[in-house]
Amino acid sequence: MTEPIVETKQSENKEWEPKIIAFLCNWCSYAGADLAGVSRIQYPSNIRIVRVPCSGRINAYFIIKSLTDGWDGVIVSGCHPGDCHYISGNLVARRRFAILKELLEFFGIEAGRINFMWASAAEGERFAVLVRKATEIVKKLGPNTKFDKKW
Amino acid sequence: MAEKILKKDDIGRLYSELEKEYKFYAPTKVKGNIAFKKISNAEEIELEYLNSKVPPKDVLFPQKETIFEYRYEGKDVIIEERKDLEDKLLIFGVRLCDAYSFKLLEDFFASGDFQDDIFLKKRENATIIGIGCNSPRQSCFCTSVGGHPFQKESTDVFLSDLGDTYLVEAISEKGESLLKKLSWLTDAKKADLTKSKELAKQAEEALTTKFDFDLVTKVLDENFEHPVWQEISESCIGCSSCTFLCPTCTCFDVIDENDEYNNRGRRIRIWDTCQSCLYTLETSGHNPRPAKIQRCRNRIMHKFSYYPSNYDCLGCVGCGRCITACPVNNELRLIIDKILEIEEKSGEKVSA
Amino acid sequence: MVKFMGLETENKEIENNLREIARELLKEKKVDVIIGYKKGTLPLLSQPIIIDSEEDIDKLIWNNLCYVNLAKYLVPRVPRFVDPEKGNLTVGVVSKGCVGRALIHLASENKINLDEIKIIGIPCNGVVNRQRIEMEIGEKEILEVSVLGNNIIVKGKNFEKEFPFDEYMNDLCKVCKIRKPPLVSKVPDLCVGECEEYSNIVDEFTDIEEFDSKTPKEKWQHISEALSVCTRCYACREACPMCYCNLCFVDQNKPVWFGKTTDLPDIIVYHLIRAMHMAGRCVACGACSLVCPMGIDLNIINRKLEKIVKERFDFTSGLDPDALPPMVNFKMEDAQEFMLEED
Repeated sequence: MTEPIVETKQSENKEWEPKIIAFLCNWCSYAGADLAGVSRIQYPSNIRIVRVPCSGRINAYFIIKSLTDGWDGVIVSGCHPGDCHYISGNLVARRRFAILKELLEFFGIEAGRINFMWASAAEGERFAVLVRKATEIVKKLGPNTKFDKKW
Repeated sequence: MAEKILKKDDIGRLYSELEKEYKFYAPTKVKGNIAFKKISNAEEIELEYLNSKVPPKDVLFPQKETIFEYRYEGKDVIIEERKDLEDKLLIFGVRLCDAYSFKLLEDFFASGDFQDDIFLKKRENATIIGIGCNSPRQSCFCTSVGGHPFQKESTDVFLSDLGDTYLVEAISEKGESLLKKLSWLTDAKKADLTKSKELAKQAEEALTTKFDFDLVTKVLDENFEHPVWQEISESCIGCSSCTFLCPTCTCFDVIDENDEYNNRGRRIRIWDTCQSCLYTLETSGHNPRPAKIQRCRNRIMHKFSYYPSNYDCLGCVGCGRCITACPVNNELRLIIDKILEIEEKSGEKVSA
Repeated sequence: MVKFMGLETENKEIENNLREIARELLKEKKVDVIIGYKKGTLPLLSQPIIIDSEEDIDKLIWNNLCYVNLAKYLVPRVPRFVDPEKGNLTVGVVSKGCVGRALIHLASENKINLDEIKIIGIPCNGVVNRQRIEMEIGEKEILEVSVLGNNIIVKGKNFEKEFPFDEYMNDLCKVCKIRKPPLVSKVPDLCVGECEEYSNIVDEFTDIEEFDSKTPKEKWQHISEALSVCTRCYACREACPMCYCNLCFVDQNKPVWFGKTTDLPDIIVYHLIRAMHMAGRCVACGACSLVCPMGIDLNIINRKLEKIVKERFDFTSGLDPDALPPMVNFKMEDAQEFMLEED
């Protein structure tokens, strides 16, 4: 049997901090995050990074599964249009994100929980700024409770 | 015990006296459809209904049901069994076809080496108040499967709608003890009894759909590979409306739900359906019922051939839900006709 | 819309033309089988029927209850459409606008070879929203439904009720702009019967404006309430001509993506992702809503999808078999106003 995860929810007296899952493209944003790190640029520690080969790899399942699993927000970051390592992966992904975001909005689910961004390997500063911004948005929305199951 | 009379205005009184002791389930309108739900107000009860969309089996065998819950305490796993199984249930205003379905469900869940404790416990604690069916639908055929719109045997208390009042009869011991609690009910007159009998007769006459299921079972047993199954399954789109709305379908799937962030989980069961391709899919990838033809056939064979040989009764109560639910109108009456046609044709051949 | 004659005469005329064309097609051996609609055994239903001989042609009907999308039976082909020796048979499909669109869109996804089918086009005048009528009649049995003039007349024991057709039409039919199957210039003899060439479909999407202007809270309330009765029978999926996957995402179990229970989050997720998969593919036939045993109205979600796809990618599904579906396509200049940017 695996060890039970003992990570507990934030204690009540501390200010609530969102947990955000970030899917970063291996070729740009992941390196961008790295650059932010080595350049000592501060960005919120709320994000947990998952490295993916391309933003085109992101299936809507990943994003919605993250929300149902209780993440308060999702960030997807890829290469700028035209810079994709696989030529057009990010452009196809962009259409997918557009639909998903509008649909979530239509269902009345806070669309601000999912945030998409472009950040290249050289843009450590931009990455930090955008993550800060996304964290702010999610923080304002509060905890993600729409997908909570009744126990 | 003598028959009693319940005024329609007194339903509220009946509810308020019984809801303290029982979890009171009754037909009520949910999003335009009748469903059996635990009600919190006597006004929610809708007794003037044809039949519920989802059958009342939902009360004893819900679509999603927790088998047990577990949680971690340190490195220990603690299993918590269901605690609500001892609650007394009252299912009020059930149509007789559905009341009969509880017997079939019980047969199924109690047969074999493994008893389904959850269902049986609930069944034991449930009291069923049936209500006679004054105007059966065109799609009803309960008399063909050994039922009757006024069949009292499978209920504990039986109501028949006499217009302004209900005639109340205790059928089982459970029913008698329940009626004792309602001492304010007035005694029935002879005229009421005759009226109830008359209504029963009228209802029986209103049923136009009739089948000879002995013959159907015989034909089915002999024609497993008959080309007619191709014809039957042709227009089926493989949605599972027929099985999900069937009062006698019992298949379920067991799933574990893990809430790892809170160190707990639960094992649940949810309805499954033989119309889904996943139902028979084996881990190896082999699927013994790969196409619609096998799945359609399985549903019919199960109800009208396997049930008679395993439980000595038909696996159908004649409620007609599958007939009205089928979106492509590939309905049971037509299927039965096609099956009986095999027999007719082979009869012709022999005589020729 | 102005109707010069009653619906029943219109339907009769369509039906007669349809039978004539079908008879000719079978006689001249231009098709091997025909799939169409036949009168149902229940008042608010019709039944799909496959015919291969001229004798059965009079069973073909057209009325406002023919709501199943027949393209469903071609992907995958039902066994009757495949000959063990000759292979795929040529199938004549009785097509209202949305059936034709479905066939053409499926061809663009390489699921149908247009040479193997014939579209028997009919000028559809809309289908009845049977769930809405059933719910309004409530707990009384409907015994007979007929269409007279501009009304749907519902009869039962001790009651008779009239419903104006224009209002009790399926919501998607009310705003339908493609009533006849589209013509395909590449395959000129694909279409027999009444078809039309469509160039630029203009749609204002005024019907969902009201919903769109609601607050997120109201939207959530509406959607979650409407979907809460879902039993996860997947009739919507099975009736949809675009749902042809061998293994649907909800059935996948290696890994299990989403819960299979009837808890609200699981239901919402199913409908959300199903909608996602319909983007740029939905042909607005409304079959999903009309087959739902619980009477859930999914039309509004389909309309929203149509709107997003039209506004963002200027695409209407099922018009051109050579057009690349929008979700596998891209343009450099696609709008990206939703992307996070520095201030």
